[in-house]
Amino acid sequence: MRVIANMNVCQGHARCEDICPEVFATDAVEGKVVIVQTEFPAELEDKVRLAVRNCPEGALRIAKGKAA
Amino acid sequence: MTLQWQPSPPDHVPAELVVDFDFFAIPEGTNDPAQIWHDLVRRGVPPIFYTPHNGGHWVFLKYDDVVEGYRNYEKFSTHQTPIPPIEPFPVVMPQGVDPPEHTVFRMLLAPMFTPLAVRRMTEHLQQRAADLIDRFADKGGCDFIADYASIFPTSTFLELFGLPQSRLPEFLALSEVFFRSTDPEARAQNLNDIYAVLEDLFREKERNPGTDIASTIVTARDADGNQHKWIDILNCGFLLFVAGLDTVTNTMTYVWRYLATNPPARAHFREKLDDTPAFLMALEELMRINAVSNIYRRVTHDFDYKGIQFRRNDRIILPNTVVNRDPSVFKDPQEIDLDRKVNNHLTFGVGPHRCIGSHLAKREIMISMQEWLKRIPHFELAPDQDEGSVFGGSVMGFTSLKLRW
Repeated sequence: MRVIANMNVCQGHARCEDICPEVFATDAVEGKVVIVQTEFPAELEDKVRLAVRNCPEGALRIAKGKAA
Repeated sequence: MTLQWQPSPPDHVPAELVVDFDFFAIPEGTNDPAQIWHDLVRRGVPPIFYTPHNGGHWVFLKYDDVVEGYRNYEKFSTHQTPIPPIEPFPVVMPQGVDPPEHTVFRMLLAPMFTPLAVRRMTEHLQQRAADLIDRFADKGGCDFIADYASIFPTSTFLELFGLPQSRLPEFLALSEVFFRSTDPEARAQNLNDIYAVLEDLFREKERNPGTDIASTIVTARDADGNQHKWIDILNCGFLLFVAGLDTVTNTMTYVWRYLATNPPARAHFREKLDDTPAFLMALEELMRINAVSNIYRRVTHDFDYKGIQFRRNDRIILPNTVVNRDPSVFKDPQEIDLDRKVNNHLTFGVGPHRCIGSHLAKREIMISMQEWLKRIPHFELAPDQDEGSVFGGSVMGFTSLKLRW
């Protein structure tokens, strides 16, 4: 499982960072999401799913499998 | 003066969509100003309705429509939106302009309000909160607004703008008139006063720039290497003055009013004092349920939306307090669930104008709660609350909240 951010949609609410700082951070210029690790250990999957569901802009999504 | 932003007479509004609703009028005996909004839903008024009060305006009551109002700036503009319609009205920069003009100033301010920048303010905020609370912690009671909630955000504003704390009384007086006065002359004079203060401030920071926000704004250069237009600089200062004071004061007051009457909620937050992610999660629920802002938009051109005719310059209110309890989005929406897992509330808006100060506001409230609960773990509403100490409008809230412990 990996997570993808649509930077055109992200508005910097940082809810993902609040919920799962192991995977999500925000940058120092616009405060938009930075995915610290696109692939992550299984024990973080629930937290990542929760972060995705709490994005008020719908800017995050879960993708199956490894990055190309 | 030619008026440009006045709505046309509402002859395009069908009678069945007209509701008699004045969002400034709080009936006697109401102790929570948000109830006038929730009453609309209880009465079953149309989800998009029009009221002739306050110059005439629409109200959106459903989550999806409010999201559309926030996101679709080509239809629903933030430029020249006041309700009732007032001209001339200052442009709150960049909130009051649409992209692409908005983007330049948004990018200028953004680095100063990122979560990273706000986390760096933590120690200062903790110190200021602790100092304020220590003034009355051993007195057995306080007026939460006069003694804390009005002072804390204003004092934070002074620090961000590189101004001395000795100017606190002056700024409190300015914001008191700005947010509470209904006298047109006092309001006009107050705007002049605020702009005179901003003018002096930015001139001083131009001569002696520091690391504060005012200096950053006044020394910034546009794509051609020139200083931004002076009026845009002043309007930027105006936004930060109007957007971050009253909203934080009244949100805090709602939160403390809730905590004062809910020992289990106080215990819930006390257990999480050292666990920031868990604290923030619970705080989001208080942000959802205690949304104080009713946001204005102006229709940019004639169009139909959901089969309803809108005309250029029609005004719209997006009431966050209502849509944050929309049952099609939130499970058990009326219940305050501090363990709520999915919470896409609209308290800070969505889209390009998402509240730039949201991270600062949340941190101010979180730190205030932490410092307070460490010193005053148990407190309740005092029995001698003032009658009529609530107000409606674009920011709803309270003029007094007496607590005792």
